[in-house]
Amino acid sequence: MRLIIRDDAAQVGEYIASYIAKRIIEFDPTPTKPFVLGLPTGSSPIPTYKALIARVKRGELSFKHVVTFNMDEYVGLPRDHPESYHSFMFREFFSHVDIPPTQVHILNGNAPDLAAECAAYEASIREYGGIELFLGGIGEDGHIAFNEPGSSLASRTRIKTLAYDTILANARFFDNDIAKVPRMALTVGVGTVLDSREVVVVVTGLRKALALGKAIEDGVNHLWTLSALQLHPWALIVVDEDATSELHVKTVKYFKSIERVQEEVERTQAELRRRGKEAGQVGSME
Amino acid sequence: MSANGLICFTNCLLPQEDGSLVEKDLWIDERRGVIVDAQRTFFLRKERPDKIVDLGGNILSPGFIDIQINGGFGFDFSVYDGDDQAYRDGLKLVAERIIETGVTAIVPTIITQEKSLYPKLLHLLRPWSPPNAAHLLGWHAEGPFLDMAKRGAHSPPLIMPASEGFKSFESIYSAENLAEAEDWLMSCDIRQDTVGVRMITAAPEVDGVMDAITEASKRGICFNIGHSIATTDIATAAVKNGARCITHLFNAMPQLHHRDPSIIGLLGASPYLSTPISTYAPFPSATLTEFERPFYEIIVDGIHSHPNSVRLAYSAHPDGCILITDAMKVLDPHLRDGVHEWRDGRKFYKEGDKLYVEGTTTLAGSVITLDKCVRNFSRFTGCSIGEAIKCATYTPAKCLRIENKKGTLRAGADADLVVLDRQGNVVSTWVKGKIAWERQ
Repeated sequence: MRLIIRDDAAQVGEYIASYIAKRIIEFDPTPTKPFVLGLPTGSSPIPTYKALIARVKRGELSFKHVVTFNMDEYVGLPRDHPESYHSFMFREFFSHVDIPPTQVHILNGNAPDLAAECAAYEASIREYGGIELFLGGIGEDGHIAFNEPGSSLASRTRIKTLAYDTILANARFFDNDIAKVPRMALTVGVGTVLDSREVVVVVTGLRKALALGKAIEDGVNHLWTLSALQLHPWALIVVDEDATSELHVKTVKYFKSIERVQEEVERTQAELRRRGKEAGQVGSME
Repeated sequence: MSANGLICFTNCLLPQEDGSLVEKDLWIDERRGVIVDAQRTFFLRKERPDKIVDLGGNILSPGFIDIQINGGFGFDFSVYDGDDQAYRDGLKLVAERIIETGVTAIVPTIITQEKSLYPKLLHLLRPWSPPNAAHLLGWHAEGPFLDMAKRGAHSPPLIMPASEGFKSFESIYSAENLAEAEDWLMSCDIRQDTVGVRMITAAPEVDGVMDAITEASKRGICFNIGHSIATTDIATAAVKNGARCITHLFNAMPQLHHRDPSIIGLLGASPYLSTPISTYAPFPSATLTEFERPFYEIIVDGIHSHPNSVRLAYSAHPDGCILITDAMKVLDPHLRDGVHEWRDGRKFYKEGDKLYVEGTTTLAGSVITLDKCVRNFSRFTGCSIGEAIKCATYTPAKCLRIENKKGTLRAGADADLVVLDRQGNVVSTWVKGKIAWERQ
């Protein structure tokens, strides 16, 4: 796992956007070989979306041949509800980039058979040959997607009851009325995320500091589901200074030092590829 | 043309119904000529616009609606010389030319006429949308049931009481033109979803008028109080009976007197006016029916109402404010200053936005364009350009009960749009999803 530390949330967004843009451009997606991207909702990824949109508007990046799968969606909330993740994704991202609507996948929380909806979602991901890069965020309790504390680290896409913490945190979007907050969601599983070839997670703000510490300094633990990332061969966490507040100084120093090394190796590999040599993706190095 | 018929306007500010401006895209369907719900189009129709129009940071507003306009570009809605075709050509001319002022819908207003002319004129003024032109929404009959004391430019011999109440209305305007809204629209040779409106300006203190208000309102006609010396009590009763609007506020009505503020005073009416004293509560509660203050039209040329009066009215009742031009037939943004023909051998003298009877200092009506009223209004009241736009779009539409189709950017509304720069100058005008005028 790599940890990249930037000064603030905007710089984190800029870093991830340039990283994803680079990955998509290098992948050189086509209609028959699209780049399959997993996407999150929430406040953390907004700077990343903004930075990606800016690249598309400048003509540096295109989502024409990108297929997306979103992490989760509330159950029973109308698709047009301003707090639905359909609304979020459209408002914050899809309406501003050139992605064809047919290439967008979001779980349907109003499907008559929710279990079948989840199974079909997994099947659809498999049909595309799996997810190339899954972008994620975390909750204050360390959940990735709606995989709340206690979720199986082998879980797949399924119906999930939201933790009381999450319901409380979401109440601000529903007139501060707990009764209005959806209690269930459909979400990809920890296993679904781990299956993607690469995982990039954005963690910003002081409130996420404890979860970040638990996820990368303690052991793999289903009470902090992000910690499962320790088992992934190609994972990148990008954080701001605030989010590092609960980390050991040693941890921060270590990850800062390896950032340069990674860049050097990536440059060498890119040079090899330019000369027509077969050079593999660098991936996570440490 | 867009390959899939969808257009996305981007890089623009959208005026909202609360008067704010929001940076957001707007999607329209140019084939159906309507605004679409972008998110539903994306997720359900699985389409996104093939054509993108970058507005360069300008404002994309619903087209302006002028609910009181007497004519323009040389044509007077109140002059009918027996030739239907000539009259319709005149209507079409105004509708085609007025779009350069950002106006996409008008309610042609006719002043007090010879009794025999009404059935014909109102019949000719049924809703009509000529191509690439503003929509003619219906008619606004100003008179003949006016108060002689406040007749203004209306011809005294033609002014009359409504002694038999609504029956008098029917005998003047003809029953066919006052039919229930649905029957009236059905009789028009138009598409089903076309909106149509009818307004009547009358003085509630004139014999029989008060009795007619309820019935007229019930039939979907917007009743305006105007050319009147109604006392506060009469004006209040008129609103309780269904009067929705005040015609050209401050003009042709008593000045504000603090002991009997008359029609103008309605802008300050208490929400408890409809409530018996015993049920007074410290805060207005949802269970009480609030007395709803009427909408009011205001001419913002800086002449017919002083800027201070405009701000005073707007501060008192912002949600009721409707900008109108009340323009005469000489309205034409390209018309030079000087002497122009009026009617019956009389002449106008035009000087900027001022219009005098030739050789006098008597004001002869208005020649201001609605886009200029919007800019003036923002300057006079200190409100934002978005709030000024609301008074020329959403508020008049609401008064006419057509706010689902006009004066709004709601999904399903007609794609009648005006692009304004940040100062409120018209850049281009779109009608039914198609560009109809563009600044050169």
